[in-house]
Amino acid sequence: MFQFIAADLKRHWIGVAVIVLIVALATALGVAVTLQERALRLGSARAAEAFDLVVGAPGSDTQLVLSSVFLQAAPLPLMPGAVFADLSQDPRVAWAAPIGFGDFVDGDPIVGTTEALLKGLGGVTEGRGFASLGEAVVGALDARQIGDSFHPMHGTVGSQGEVHTGITYRVVGRMAPTGTPWDRAVLVPIQAVWMAHHHHHDDDEHENEADASAGADTGAPALNAAAADQPAERGFGEGSAPHAQDDDDHDDAPADLRAPIDEAAVTDPHAPGLPAILVKPQSFADAYKLRQAYRGDRTLAVFPGEVLTRLYGTLGDVRRILSWVAAGAQGLVAAAILLVVMVHVMQRRRQIGALRAFGAPRRAVFGIVWVEAFAIIGLGVVVGFGLGYAGARVASGVFTASSGISLPVTFLASDASSLVVLFVLTGLIAVIPAALAYRQSPASALRGG
Amino acid sequence: MLDLAIRDLEVRFPGLDQPVLAISELALPAGSQVALTGPSGSGKTTFINVVTGLEPASSGHVAWRGTDLEALSESRRDRWRAANVGLVMQDFHLFPGLSAIDNVLLPQRLARLRRLPALTEEARRLLTRVGILRHGQPVETMSRGQMQRVAVARALVARPGVIVADEPTASLDAEAGTAVADLLIELVSEAGATLIVASHDPRFVGRLGRVLRLDGGRLLH
Repeated sequence: MFQFIAADLKRHWIGVAVIVLIVALATALGVAVTLQERALRLGSARAAEAFDLVVGAPGSDTQLVLSSVFLQAAPLPLMPGAVFADLSQDPRVAWAAPIGFGDFVDGDPIVGTTEALLKGLGGVTEGRGFASLGEAVVGALDARQIGDSFHPMHGTVGSQGEVHTGITYRVVGRMAPTGTPWDRAVLVPIQAVWMAHHHHHDDDEHENEADASAGADTGAPALNAAAADQPAERGFGEGSAPHAQDDDDHDDAPADLRAPIDEAAVTDPHAPGLPAILVKPQSFADAYKLRQAYRGDRTLAVFPGEVLTRLYGTLGDVRRILSWVAAGAQGLVAAAILLVVMVHVMQRRRQIGALRAFGAPRRAVFGIVWVEAFAIIGLGVVVGFGLGYAGARVASGVFTASSGISLPVTFLASDASSLVVLFVLTGLIAVIPAALAYRQSPASALRGG
Repeated sequence: MLDLAIRDLEVRFPGLDQPVLAISELALPAGSQVALTGPSGSGKTTFINVVTGLEPASSGHVAWRGTDLEALSESRRDRWRAANVGLVMQDFHLFPGLSAIDNVLLPQRLARLRRLPALTEEARRLLTRVGILRHGQPVETMSRGQMQRVAVARALVARPGVIVADEPTASLDAEAGTAVADLLIELVSEAGATLIVASHDPRFVGRLGRVLRLDGGRLLH
């Protein structure tokens, strides 16, 4: 029987191949949608894992997470520099690191931060961390090599920004891969970012506040000036709004880039404002307490995981729509295949009639047609799973290359059960042409020839 | 080696006033060799379909050694036919993609779950007997005469009691037709089976013991 089926399939191999391909594409569509959605969910959840608590100025919590965890460029309001000073002294905090945006190099974001974040994100695997203002550490996927130098650009990705020619960073280290957009980022000391965006606000009236002496201690008096503006400032990263107005004010002097990083400048209560602070709480309980404490009119504290969960709610609806589309396509394909198989059976009436005339029992005829239909459609389903997986892998690869978020394409145990369901459906569909063949009278089939 | 007894047989098709076949009485002794002739549309094919159980009669009885086909269900008629009837058709009905030997054995393999080595041996003997020496040759590479000889071997392989042939030489050239007619008569005689051949071919009509003439669905005597 199987010999006969094999000979039959071989004889009609072009038609068989076309049907297998159609089934495979329809299956692949559904599989790819499922896998890709899952990959996006897993990938973004993993990306958020390293970010326990993010503190920013009051505003959109979604935007805060997108900007800090996923480094999506968007203007964020700034919070006063004192917030970081408070946090770094808080006993509930294991470590806290500022996150300052604003500059880019070749489309990759430059993030101003501190040593604490380098350690917190997995550490430096190659080279060393930054020690002076002009040193940079690149993400795992960044193309720059240790020893390379670059000028930061101000502005957004893709738009022609202004080059801070006065500032040159030299790459001294590379981060461990994190599977997050931070793998494409360039990390520099936050003090250097402040300096790049340092404005000639020296004449600012706030300059001469009581704490002027403290400001002097930091060795970067200009920073205080920026700090004074903070509550009013909204911009892309710190200091960018005024920056847009007085571009000329850029301090292009290659001044003290070789100076060692002054850690105290960051924890100074009068330090410049920050768009976001990454906080690692001491414990689970501390995390909730901190979120409570920093949720007020001055700051907004969020768990990125929680914000993402809410986003997935929306994503889930999109997936449901995509699933319906995929299911509709599959339904159409199933109907088309049924038609093709029926026509095929009708065309083979003579052959089927002859089989029975020569003594093949009806159940053998039923079996032959059923096995053939099942083999063709089943093969398509299997190939479709492979195609869907490959497609999702390719899509994930493209996404990872552009965003840095690694999207793990994985099958779950539940996929095995949907495969079984598909096979059962295939078996049921195959019954239709088999029953059609079963019911044919051998005499009329022969005569019909 | 089966004897045929037909009584009050009528086959009607929907929409036709007259029965396409009406035989009040016919008896063929076991081992008899019969030619069935008549103009086209006279009911020859219907006769063959009914006596082989391919088609049910509208009424009456068709009994082979006491087994009334009209009393059997379709599945049981299939089983009876597989065990008792060897068929040879005008256009062979071999299955392309399979070798000569696989074509000879296919119906038996589909009818039985187990493979019988004795059947394979008989298939080889018959193929050699009908002059097909390369048993593994794919049938689609054969001449029409060779194909019909494979079909003759297939009809005989299960040693059926009845061999029924429907115009077995009509689509062959003279030489191939003669070879097939000779082989068929020879092999059926050797097996002692009952033979019914629907044909105008004088190579059959002249050589078979009895001629049945059909006209308008009725036997002429």
